[in-house]
Amino acid sequence: MRIKNCWICLIVALLAFVVIPVSVSAADKMIKIGGLYPMTGRAGLYGKDSVAAAEIAINEINAKGGAAGYKIDATFNDSKVKAAYAIRVAKRYISEDKVNFLFGVVSSGVGLAVTEVSKQEKTIFIGTDHASTRLTVDNFQPYYFRVSNNTFQSMASGALYLKELKKTKPWKTIAFIGPDYSYGHSQFDEIKYSLERLGVEFKVVGEYWPKIYAPDYTSYITSILNDKPDVLVAGFWGGDTVAFIKQAQAFGLFNKTTYFHPDAGGNYELMSAMGDELPLGLILGARHYNNWPETELNKNFVKNFKALTGRYPTYAAEGAYAGIYAIAAAVEKVGNPDDTEALIKALEGLKIKLPEDPDGFTSYINPETHQMIQTQAIGVTVANKDFPPATRMLGNWTIYKAEDLIPPSDYIKMKRKK
Amino acid sequence: MDFSFFIMQLISGLTVATLLFLVASGLTLIFGVGDVFNFAHGSFYMIGAYLAFQVISVLQVNFWLGLVLSGLGAGLVGIIAEVFLLRRIYGRKHEAGFQILLTFCLILIIDDLVKIIWGTEYKTIQRPPGFSGPVQIGDLYIPSYNILIIVIGIIVVVAAWWILNKTRAGKIARAAAVDREMLGAMGINVPMTMTMVFGIATALGGFAGALAAPLRSVTPGAGVEVIIDSLIVVVIGGMGNFWGAWMGALLIGELTAFGIVIVPKWATLFSYLVMIIVLIFKPEGLFAPRKVRKV
Repeated sequence: MRIKNCWICLIVALLAFVVIPVSVSAADKMIKIGGLYPMTGRAGLYGKDSVAAAEIAINEINAKGGAAGYKIDATFNDSKVKAAYAIRVAKRYISEDKVNFLFGVVSSGVGLAVTEVSKQEKTIFIGTDHASTRLTVDNFQPYYFRVSNNTFQSMASGALYLKELKKTKPWKTIAFIGPDYSYGHSQFDEIKYSLERLGVEFKVVGEYWPKIYAPDYTSYITSILNDKPDVLVAGFWGGDTVAFIKQAQAFGLFNKTTYFHPDAGGNYELMSAMGDELPLGLILGARHYNNWPETELNKNFVKNFKALTGRYPTYAAEGAYAGIYAIAAAVEKVGNPDDTEALIKALEGLKIKLPEDPDGFTSYINPETHQMIQTQAIGVTVANKDFPPATRMLGNWTIYKAEDLIPPSDYIKMKRKK
Repeated sequence: MDFSFFIMQLISGLTVATLLFLVASGLTLIFGVGDVFNFAHGSFYMIGAYLAFQVISVLQVNFWLGLVLSGLGAGLVGIIAEVFLLRRIYGRKHEAGFQILLTFCLILIIDDLVKIIWGTEYKTIQRPPGFSGPVQIGDLYIPSYNILIIVIGIIVVVAAWWILNKTRAGKIARAAAVDREMLGAMGINVPMTMTMVFGIATALGGFAGALAAPLRSVTPGAGVEVIIDSLIVVVIGGMGNFWGAWMGALLIGELTAFGIVIVPKWATLFSYLVMIIVLIFKPEGLFAPRKVRKV
């Protein structure tokens, strides 16, 4: 026994001498990333999925020798979905950990706060999930990049969908319901803007602004029923969609109005949570789908995520995956992770093939807004048991070209002037 | 606003109010009897919802039995928390910081425990058989489950009134709210009384969570979402005032229901506004008896 202990001591001592110096020398060539994701509360699911997907990307890249010889080293902290707290963590990342990139953030509210830190400290911030267009338009700053699509893109494709819908199902009136903060308000303004821009005639018969995470929508639903809109445009986020649909279904809302939720309604977690209870025929969209496009890249991404976590990814995961690959591609181009100005140049216009890209299209970053330009798909809930526990998935896809969803220059100028 | 729409908003406000009351009643009970403001009360609501998911959706136990078991389960967790933690902070009103710290920590601990046990994915429970569709009353279609919630709420109010006013146990609990030392001097086991009150209050919260689960999504953090509104209700009704909680819940439920129709952009502001007005003009609570009972 004693001899065995001695052996263990010896091995530990040897390892201490051999391994630690090796890892220290490796640390010299590191791309340091400071990640911020919610780990608690309702948004915790997105945080967990984002971190898992980022780690898949990091392992893939590091296994191939890293980017320009640099290995990726990412730290993830809880943003607590609180702007003030996230600012402190972001500042610490920059001053103490000396990170090359700030990364992540699920809530637009937190994103708007962290982008200010990024601007002050001249540190690149790669946004992977939050969708408010304000980050790339109104509050744009050169150190910010977003690799997942924003609400403008979702709503532009939504408006195109509604325009087409008039042919098969003549509609005249809409009502809107969404959370009462930046994300919700952006969506309502943008759907109206895009519909007007396309010359679609419509009348708003009601607008509703519940608090985010409101547990109960009963009174909103009864009031919407009274408005009798032809189309209900919803801008809910996360579990709020689940609660709303469950409550609205009991009132028969979906038999009376078309439910249309183009930005985050098609999230997989809605399908997995509701199973058979999810009504068929809802028109939904999301930033990433597990069953579209059916490319090798997407199938592998979903498969690898499932292998790592034991479940299928929510939409947030692919944004984090894309973010890590964007960083690696930029560093590869520049040759090091320290020349911030050169990295900005490299990221502007960067082309990168992502799981959510259909065949024949490659996502790219728009130099004017630093926004990733992507194809959008909108689907309808249909029966599909390929991704359990969900028994409904989206199908009957309508695909929109990335170029048709970009905010026009005069729109950007007008918003930035404000 | 036509009449049937008015009735519809009234009923939807009533559903919201009932669930609000079930949570707020436990909160106010604990405050009244133990002088503890239990921030973690919403977490017992969440425990109830998760237990309901486990018992009803996973173990396929009968829905009604599942509701009762979930309430009892949350009460049991409440009793454990009381015996090991909260018992130590009763009546220390002058050290409110400790109360806030302890109960707030409890929120974080329970949230993490829930995450470890059930994960972060959203969970749902199907409505019980026979209560999935609407009921037609005149030209109105009202979900039968919402009506069920309102009926259960009324039963709880009546039962609570009966227990608090007509039974020995209720009288002891009310006495504990007035003077614990005197109660002890009269030979009543005060710590036991407090534990039972805490257990009943948290069971009420858990029951509310289980009852609401088929309508809402069951997620980590669900407790924090209900605690703010419940707090408003308790403040409006008067801290520690059981009936006040009911009236406060009705007021907030209906104000929100009609606020949404009249000024949709500011609807969520109403409850806060009412709370501020009450705090300025009648800080002991709108429904507190004229003479404040507690010193």
